Amino acid sequence: MKIVVCIKQVPETNDVKIDPVTHNLDRRGLAGVMNPFDKNAIELALTLKDSRDDVQVALLTMGPDDYAESLREGMAMGADEGYLLSDRAFAGADTLATGYVIAQALKKIGDADLILFGRQAVDADTGQVGPIVAEFLHQPQITYAASLRLSGANEVTAERLLEDTKQTLVAQLPAVVSVRSELNTPRYPTPRNIQLSFAKPLTVWHHDDLDLDDSRLGQAGSPTIVTKVYAPEPVKRELTPLTGTPSDAASQLITALKNRQLI
Amino acid sequence: MPSTTAAAEKLLLQMVDDYTQREISPQDMAMDAAGDFPEGFLAKLTETGFLGIMLPQEFGGAGFGPEVTATVLNHIARGNASTAVTLEGHFKTIDQILKFGTPALQKQLLPSATERIFAFSMTEASGGSNPMGISSTATREGNHWVLNGDKIMITNGGLAEVYCVLVKTAPHELSVFVVDQDMPGFSFGKREDFIGLRGTPVGEIVMDHIIVDDDHLLGKVGDGGLIGDSAHDDARILMGAVLTGIMEHELKIATDYAKERKAGNTPLTDLQVTHRKVADIALRKETTKLLYQRAAQLKAAGQPYSEEAAMAKAHGSRAAVSAGDDTLQILAGYGYSREYPVEHLIRDARAMEIAEGTVEKMRSAIATAEFNK
Repeated sequence: MKIVVCIKQVPETNDVKIDPVTHNLDRRGLAGVMNPFDKNAIELALTLKDSRDDVQVALLTMGPDDYAESLREGMAMGADEGYLLSDRAFAGADTLATGYVIAQALKKIGDADLILFGRQAVDADTGQVGPIVAEFLHQPQITYAASLRLSGANEVTAERLLEDTKQTLVAQLPAVVSVRSELNTPRYPTPRNIQLSFAKPLTVWHHDDLDLDDSRLGQAGSPTIVTKVYAPEPVKRELTPLTGTPSDAASQLITALKNRQLI
Repeated sequence: MPSTTAAAEKLLLQMVDDYTQREISPQDMAMDAAGDFPEGFLAKLTETGFLGIMLPQEFGGAGFGPEVTATVLNHIARGNASTAVTLEGHFKTIDQILKFGTPALQKQLLPSATERIFAFSMTEASGGSNPMGISSTATREGNHWVLNGDKIMITNGGLAEVYCVLVKTAPHELSVFVVDQDMPGFSFGKREDFIGLRGTPVGEIVMDHIIVDDDHLLGKVGDGGLIGDSAHDDARILMGAVLTGIMEHELKIATDYAKERKAGNTPLTDLQVTHRKVADIALRKETTKLLYQRAAQLKAAGQPYSEEAAMAKAHGSRAAVSAGDDTLQILAGYGYSREYPVEHLIRDARAMEIAEGTVEKMRSAIATAEFNK
């Protein structure tokens, strides 16, 4: 069984600046660390690896050369190999263009049974790349899994926490799953495994190594246009208290909704 | 791209900082109050591989060198000095087995050093600075050695499972043997109730007719003084690193407080008296850091480092006590309170003016080295 965990390197600081021209996050010159939520996805993959003899765990990321540091960290946690997708042509990609390149790389890797993502990256907070990759690959997807187990030879069962209930989903493999951070506590890379991780294979794929449609790459292939980044002003709303017994309060609510022609 | 070694060291320190922040620092105050490591604390430290950081990879360790090993203890001591000192005692002992142990002994013992704590013991009731005054003995009986005696004030004593012990093999001859807590005749004695580094156990072992073979002798018969000095040298580098970590902790407390607090309407950061104290703390911290790093560099390069190691500990221990005193004065009443960690940092640093050779002995060693140049 092959599990591929897609990870991202994010700025170490919360003080990320906005590029004044593109209005995108300006990550240049910032020290990077692995997106903390991605460690939950790696931990899940490693837990599955610990429970069976036939599980191989690969890590995949897209970014500049120094993103290899996060791949090494994941390999020091216990992953078997890493793939870095790195090319100037990929720069400036939004979630769609990023998802496209990752999906094409996953097609080249070829035999992934389970593709895992953290719930979102802490820099842009979209949580979109996992679902986009699933759509490109035409694979079933489960988002924000709170638990996940291999429930058959070719399926996974995951639990999602909804507002007031739990939802259990079964997906045929191969499938794409993003996981919640409450799922587990990621293990630390041990000093010995840090050393040994540098002997594990790390494959770097550039533009020409993948089967790509250039119109879908980078900034040009990104339909997202950031026109302005701002913190919205809090809206002050008028509050009408409902008073009396629950029955009185319900009557007042119905009257108010009728008066506004909402019911 | 950075070299593999540099990249591995960066990743290691990143992990150590993360671990220290999440697992060690939160236990600092409780450890001092309880006088012990919390339940499960050492098990997790062991499980995460800290005991094998400097152990060569052929024995199951990570094989990091002297400089990064010292830096790791520096970073851990920012969160808690006891944890760093327990590792210091373990690492210096492994170092002596690597330097002086037979291949058979290394193969037998060192793979377990990733899971079992090791300790080096010299001191006896007669004192720690007078090796020839000890009364523990190893006597030759047939093909074996028989060890008898009491060793006290051992860093990790009672916690460690393997001990290097300094004994007399003749009235004026010192040797070092390795004993295991599982050997018949081995028992633990009293645990000290020290005022600082209270997480680290310091205790006594009793040897009552422990029988060992020649492979458990480090070096040759009569090498005890040499091996003891070597253990001191290795420990002193690591103590310089621990003391640097304590001072970094003190400096952070002092600057964080000064940035928030006013004296009347004047922020403490605007007062020259605060500037003087903060600058002195920073100077002491940085000079100690340079000294331990210099000694570690020499060790890594295979050069003599005894004098530099003595300097790191002699300077660093008094510097950390003084830096703690200045920090306490900046915090005034809060600094004097047990609710804040400053007072225990002073007690922790004070231990290192005594352990691994008193500062008086350090100065004597430094002066002798200078006279011999």
